[in-house]
Amino acid sequence: MRRIVWLLALLPVLLALMLAAGCGGDDDDDEGGGGSDTAATEDGGDASGEPIRIGASLPLTGDFAEPGEAARRGYEVWMEMVNESGGLLGRPVEMVIKDDQSDQNLVVTDYNALIDQDQVDLLLGTFSSLLNIPASAVAERAQMVYVEPAGGSPDMFNRGFEYLFFAQQATAPHQADLFSEWVLSLPEGEKPATAAYIAADDPFGAPVAEGIQEQLEAGGVETVYSEIYPPETVNFDAIASAIAGQKPDVIAQGSAGLQDGVNLITALSAAGYSPQQMFQASTPSFADQYSDAIGIENTEGIFFAVSYHVDADTPGNPEFLEAYRAKFDEDPAEDAADAFAAAQVLQAAVEAVGSIDDQAALKDWLHENEVETILGPLSWDETGAPEQAFLLAQWQNGDEEIVLPEDVATSDTIVNPKPPWSGG
Amino acid sequence: MTQLIQTLVLGLLLGGVYALLASGLTLIFGVMDVINVAQGALIILAAFITWALWNETGLDPLLGVFVTTPLMFLVGILIYLTTIRWIQGKPPSTSVILTFGLALIIEGVMGIVWTATLHRATPDYFDQSFTIGDIYLRKGQVYGCAIAVGVLAVLYVILRVTWLGRAIRAVSANASSARLVGVSPSTVAALTFAIGVATTGAGGSIAAVLYPFLPGSHYAWISRLLGIIVLGGMGSLPGAIVGALLLGVAETMTATYISPQWATMVPWAVIMVVLLLRPQGLMGQKLREDVAL
Repeated sequence: MRRIVWLLALLPVLLALMLAAGCGGDDDDDEGGGGSDTAATEDGGDASGEPIRIGASLPLTGDFAEPGEAARRGYEVWMEMVNESGGLLGRPVEMVIKDDQSDQNLVVTDYNALIDQDQVDLLLGTFSSLLNIPASAVAERAQMVYVEPAGGSPDMFNRGFEYLFFAQQATAPHQADLFSEWVLSLPEGEKPATAAYIAADDPFGAPVAEGIQEQLEAGGVETVYSEIYPPETVNFDAIASAIAGQKPDVIAQGSAGLQDGVNLITALSAAGYSPQQMFQASTPSFADQYSDAIGIENTEGIFFAVSYHVDADTPGNPEFLEAYRAKFDEDPAEDAADAFAAAQVLQAAVEAVGSIDDQAALKDWLHENEVETILGPLSWDETGAPEQAFLLAQWQNGDEEIVLPEDVATSDTIVNPKPPWSGG
Repeated sequence: MTQLIQTLVLGLLLGGVYALLASGLTLIFGVMDVINVAQGALIILAAFITWALWNETGLDPLLGVFVTTPLMFLVGILIYLTTIRWIQGKPPSTSVILTFGLALIIEGVMGIVWTATLHRATPDYFDQSFTIGDIYLRKGQVYGCAIAVGVLAVLYVILRVTWLGRAIRAVSANASSARLVGVSPSTVAALTFAIGVATTGAGGSIAAVLYPFLPGSHYAWISRLLGIIVLGGMGSLPGAIVGALLLGVAETMTATYISPQWATMVPWAVIMVVLLLRPQGLMGQKLREDVAL
């Protein structure tokens, strides 16, 4: 009998491991799977001569298969658009894309192979901080410019790298800059006095919440609750009850997931507590899955941060949308737009320098200049961390709207204060 | 003080829901020595069926219990006849591997039918609460506890009053002697397994309202349920109830007064402490389990 009991003791551990390995995305089967996938130009347009070869390794299978595939689409649409409009420096562009299977070891092998065997001319980054941290080290050692589309963990930028550039607006601690600014700009009487922070224990969630807390505390908003929870937490009743007991004006949650964000909302609603302002890092960007799970009425007024919005009035976005919709018959996911923007950054540097032979000149140019992308203008500090702010989005009347900055906003109102929960 | 009472109430309500989910698991182990690791996947299956009924016909998930329970009973019989039957009498470790495989198959099928996206039934009461003074009670959990009481009462009556119950207890005590007095252990086992699986009908329907789920959600549930029945005593129905309530309260108390960071660790800590200090669990009967082996 004892043996069974010990076996049982091991079982949950096994299950927990499976759970940890299983979360993170669907295994979206894709063609290829292992080999490299070379997509040459179709007709070359006006471009002629030896193609410029750009190498990247993406998680086309494994945990990050979904965003990895989106990133590949972004790169491909960029390549086709460049080739149709005369190429890069008058030469056609050819992408060499490998599949790193969401594996940290494989991504290192892939980038080494791209540099040494395939001898590509330029590099583009992969998806997620997890994969970009080792991959960018390979590029740095080879002294090749490395523009990455997704990977905003602070750990990316504390290694003194010179060739690394992150092609989104900001790093995780600055995910909610516009939200904090807006909250602190509210007139006396409306300005919140207290705030609660709750974050998932992962490289993204915790820095987001810490960033908001730092900014609001500096603006005089008192912190009444600040906790970290394990990402697999299902039951948020105790957390919601403790937060409700403090009656904070602002509740901010840092999380990259969907379930934990949804469970917090339901638990708050059941506790009958609705804050004046509610911010969730990325859960609300899950569109229908989010609104179906918390109830569409409950979405009203919830803030979140995004890098891209299809309706955003940024230069080049209409052309990107047209090409993307023509090729894939659907709107681009945020990850596809981010990849496109990363390629735009590299393109801008190459065109400005006028050559691909001197990588040091490319990185120097990027450190000194601002680049127009479909995400808006981007520029970088000496660590390669971007210096802009994410777009501030809000759920309004059952839709996701961009509310700040004003020049790219899709809605001219901001719902404030947040209406009570439907069940509260 | 209000906070303390509120935390206690939240813990007891959560424990009630846990008791409902753990009852079938402990029943199946107590009688058959089968550790049904697929119980979590069956709960999620029942949750998906509840969701589909609610989504297509608007049937309230609470009424859905009357559809899912007989349906899951049939699923239980089917699983018994096709798989469990062949490993009866084998060491329980065999059943762990077999039912783990079953869980993976069920997860895969659910992924094909309903896709690996988040689902949830959201009837009016899904995020509402009853309030008594300053204390709130989540409606979904209150209904879940009520259903738990109902299911446990039915199980109790079946086990104590009916002929089937006496047969189940006889087989559980000593299968070969039961056979001598005319009880067919295989029929009893089939019915026990099916009853144990049928309880997931009720559990799944309330889980569909309380927490959003996807096909892979069953790992989180089964690990917690195993913690509960190890704490309460493997195979003991009252033990499962006590274990569930204790675990629910321990979890919410930890989240409120220590940190949410430690709350998900509570089931593991409980398993370790129980195994070290009282391997048979709070209400487990060592003798009977030895006989059952």
